[in-house]
Amino acid sequence: MQNRPAIVAVGRTKFGEHYGKEPEKLIEEAWLAASRECNLERRDLEACYLSDCFLPITNKLGLEEGFLSELTELHVPMEVTRSVSAALLTACHAIQAGAYNTVLVGGIEKMTDRWDKIRDDLMLLEDPWSYYAGGTPEANHELMLRAYIKKYGVTGENLDQLNLALAEVAVKNHAQALKNEYAQFQRKITVEHVLSAREAAHRPLGLYDFAPISDGASALILTNEDTAKKLADKPVYVLSCASATDYLNFPTRDDLTHFAATRIAMKNASKMAGKTPQDMSIVEVYDQSTVMELVSMEDMGFCEPGTAWKSIRGNCESYEGHYEVNGRKLFVNKNGGLKADGNPLGATGGAQIFEIFRQLRGEAGERQIPEPATTGCALEFEGFGTKAYVSIFGRDDDE
Amino acid sequence: MSSEPIERRVSYLGDRLRASRCKICGKEYFEVRDYCGNCGRKSFGKMASADLFYEKGKLELCTLVNEPTNKFMKLESYVYGVISFHNGKIRVPGRLTDQIVNGQETIDLSSLEGREVIPRFRRRYQVGRNEVVPTISLAFTLADEYYPHQEYAVVQPTKEYDLPGIVGYGFYTSRFRIKEGKLERSVPFIDEDAVTAAVEAGKLTLIHSGVDSSLVGKVYVGSESNPYAVKPISSKVAQVLKLGEEDGDVQAVDAVDTEFACKAASSMFKDAAALVNYPNSGVKYAMVVGADNSQAAPRGCPGGELDMFVGYGGSAFLFGKYDVIAEIEGWYSCTSDTPDFWRRDGEPFPMHGGRFTGDPAYFKHVRKATTQLMERLNLQVGDVDYFVTHQPNPQFPVKVAKQLGFKDEQYAVSLQVNNFGNTYSGCSPLGLAAVLDVAKPEERVLITSYGSGAGSDAYMLRTTSQLVDKRQRQKLNVKFQAENPFVKYVDYTTYRRLKLGM
Repeated sequence: MQNRPAIVAVGRTKFGEHYGKEPEKLIEEAWLAASRECNLERRDLEACYLSDCFLPITNKLGLEEGFLSELTELHVPMEVTRSVSAALLTACHAIQAGAYNTVLVGGIEKMTDRWDKIRDDLMLLEDPWSYYAGGTPEANHELMLRAYIKKYGVTGENLDQLNLALAEVAVKNHAQALKNEYAQFQRKITVEHVLSAREAAHRPLGLYDFAPISDGASALILTNEDTAKKLADKPVYVLSCASATDYLNFPTRDDLTHFAATRIAMKNASKMAGKTPQDMSIVEVYDQSTVMELVSMEDMGFCEPGTAWKSIRGNCESYEGHYEVNGRKLFVNKNGGLKADGNPLGATGGAQIFEIFRQLRGEAGERQIPEPATTGCALEFEGFGTKAYVSIFGRDDDE
Repeated sequence: MSSEPIERRVSYLGDRLRASRCKICGKEYFEVRDYCGNCGRKSFGKMASADLFYEKGKLELCTLVNEPTNKFMKLESYVYGVISFHNGKIRVPGRLTDQIVNGQETIDLSSLEGREVIPRFRRRYQVGRNEVVPTISLAFTLADEYYPHQEYAVVQPTKEYDLPGIVGYGFYTSRFRIKEGKLERSVPFIDEDAVTAAVEAGKLTLIHSGVDSSLVGKVYVGSESNPYAVKPISSKVAQVLKLGEEDGDVQAVDAVDTEFACKAASSMFKDAAALVNYPNSGVKYAMVVGADNSQAAPRGCPGGELDMFVGYGGSAFLFGKYDVIAEIEGWYSCTSDTPDFWRRDGEPFPMHGGRFTGDPAYFKHVRKATTQLMERLNLQVGDVDYFVTHQPNPQFPVKVAKQLGFKDEQYAVSLQVNNFGNTYSGCSPLGLAAVLDVAKPEERVLITSYGSGAGSDAYMLRTTSQLVDKRQRQKLNVKFQAENPFVKYVDYTTYRRLKLGM
C-alpha cells in the first residue's frame, strides 16, 4: 500500500450481555480506551468511521453519527458502515488519499436488546428468500457442512474425524478465551460438550458450534505513517484491505461448499500487501460456526480444499490456538474467535484487529504467540459470506 | 412482513416460482430478470420467462430445523434445505411440508437428500390476525409420497360441442386424516387453508383439462372459510395459476368470490357455462372452485356438533365448449330464507339450528330442486346413472336419495363424506368428481347441491367419450387420495392444532 495507514491504538469493551448500558456507553468505553493508549484528544480526530450492522433495528437508532457527535462534541465528517472491516477499508482510502491524518474507526452492536426477535432479523437481513422458505441462521451453516461432506466424499471414519475436528475448533476457541479478559465466554469446554450438544439438538451442529449473540464495541485510531510515528512506538501498519461480494441467497451461489467472496478478497489483499498465506503468523477468521472456521482455512489458502479438517484434527490437542498447516504452526483466533470472544456484528471486526494489534506488538500477555509475529490477517463477513473483507497487518521491522 | 407492497412482490415471485432463462447462454435465475448477468446488455429482450410451478425438483441438501425463527414457530420442526431444478441450473431454498417432524429425534438426512420433490402452494408463515396472509410455493412434498408429480401439458382441443359443459376437474385434499369409527376426515396441514386448497384444486384442473391457462377468462371461488372477511381468494387463484392473458403484472381475467354456505361453488356452474356460451364473450373457459377448511367449534362448545363431520379440501371445474367431458343438459335452482346454519361476522365458528337443519332446510331444498329438474327435463329416476348431493354427514345424503327413489348403486360412488368429511363448498363438487372419475361415456349424472341459508342447485350432466380419454391425465383422482398409502392419521388434539393453522 502506498502512503501506509497505521493503527496506533486499539480499545474494546468486554463482549457479552450489557443490558444496563446504552449503545453510546459501549462505544464511549472503547474509544476512551483507544485514545488513552495513544494519548490522543478527541479534537485530534478529523473524521470518524463507525460501523454497526443493525442498530436501527435493534435499538431504533437511525443516525448513529449524531449520537457520536454528541458524545465527542465533534462536528467532523462521520460515516457509518456495516462492519469494522468496511469502516477500516473506507478510512484507509481516506488516509491514503491524504484527506485526513487521524481518524477514529469503531464498531458497535447491541443485539441482546432485541433478544426475542433477533434470529428473525438476522435471517431476514442475511438471506430473505431463505427466511421466507423457513431457513434459520444456523441452517445455512449446516447445509454448507452437508455440501462439504458430499463434495469431498467424507464418509465413515473420516466423517467421524471431521466432526471431531469441528468440535476441536470450538474447544480451541474456548481455551483461548480463557486468557482473554474481554471474551464473552471465559469457560473451558471439552469435545464431549460439543458432541453432546449436537446430540441434544438432533442436528449436524449444536450449541457449541455457533457463535453467540453479543453486545459490545471496539475502536481503533488510524493515522498516516508520519502521524503514527509520533503517536506510537510500535504502530501496526495496514498492509492491505480488500473485499468481495457474493449473492445474498445462499442456495443460488455456484459453490455451496466454500465462500467465493473470501477467495477473491484474500487473493486481492495478498497481492496488494505482497504477502502469501505462508507469511502469516496469526489469522483471525470469522467463525460464526465451526464450519465457517474450517472452510475459511481453505478459502484463505492455508489448506487445500477438502483438507482443513485433517490439519485441524489432532493438531490442537494442547489447544494452544494453532493448527499444524503445511508443517508450521498457524495461530488462528487467539482471542477465542467469534465462538468464545463473542460476535456483536458491527464490533466484531474491531476485536479481530485488536487481537492482531496486540499480538504483533507483543502485548498479548498470556495469549502471546511466539516470534516471529510479524504479519497477521483478519477475515470478516457481512451476512453468510455475502461480503468478505480481508485485511493484512504488519510490523515496521517486517518491511 | 410489515409492508404490503413487499408482501405483494414476494408473493408474485414466490407463489408461482417465477424464473428466467437467458436465451443466449442458457443461465437460469429464480426471479424475473430483464437481462442475464453472464451476457450483460446484449441479453436485454432475450430473457425467456420460465417457472417452476409444475416442475419436479431435487432435494440436494437438507437439515432439521427444530428451533425455527419466530414466524415459523407454529410449524414446530421441519426439514429445510436446498432444492434444485433443471439439473441443478436453478437452486432455491425450501422446506419439506406435510410432515409432522419430531424435533427431538435425529433424522437420517442422507435418506432424504437426492429425492425428488414437488412445489406446494402453502401459507408461508404466521402473521398477526390483521395482516396480509403470506403464501409461498417454496414448500415441497416428496414426489414418491402422497402427491405424485403430474405434468401440465397444453393440449389443442379437437371438438366443439353444442352445449357447454365440464372440460376438466380436480379435487385436492391434504395428506392428513382423522379417523373416528368408520368416518375418515381430511385434516389440513398447519400451512394449509381454503386459499391454498383453491389454488391446488385449480392447478389439478388445468393439468386434467390440458387447457392453456391464459384462455380462462373468469374464475369463481366459493368458500365460507376465506381467511379474509374482505379480500378475494379468486385473485390469488388467478394470479398464481396465471389465468387469462398475462399483461405486465396483471392477469386479463375476471375473478370473483362467492358465498352461499355449501353451494357457493356449485351455484356458479350455470353462470360459468352461460358465460362461455355467450357469443363473442371472449371467455373460452371459466373456472369454478369450491374450497373450504370447514369450520367447526371444538366439541363441547356451542356448534361443536359440526366438529364430528368437517373436512378439508377443494374441488375445481373448468367449463367450456371444447373437448367437453360432461355436457350440461339443464338446471334448476330454488332458494328460501331459511337460517339453518350461519356464522356471524367476526365469529370464528358457525352455529346451526339443530333439528331445524333437516326437514325444513336440507331435505326440502334438495328434494325440490331434484324433482323439479327431472320433471322439467322429463326424466325419471331410472334415467339417471349417478345421483350426487351435498353430504353434511353420512346419513343425510343416503336418506334424501332414498326418499327420491334412487338406488344404492346410483349414489354410492358419490358418497365421499366417509372418506374426507364435509368439505363445505367443495363437498357436492367432490361427489361429482368421484363420479366423473368412474363414469362411462353417455351417462347421466344428476348433482343437487345444498347451501344453508338456504337453497339448492340441481344440474343434469351427460358425459361424453372424452371423459375416458382425459382420465389418464389425472393420477390424483378422488380414489387415489382416499386410498393413498401415504395418508397420515392424527389424533384429536393434533387435528385441532393443524386445523386452526398458522
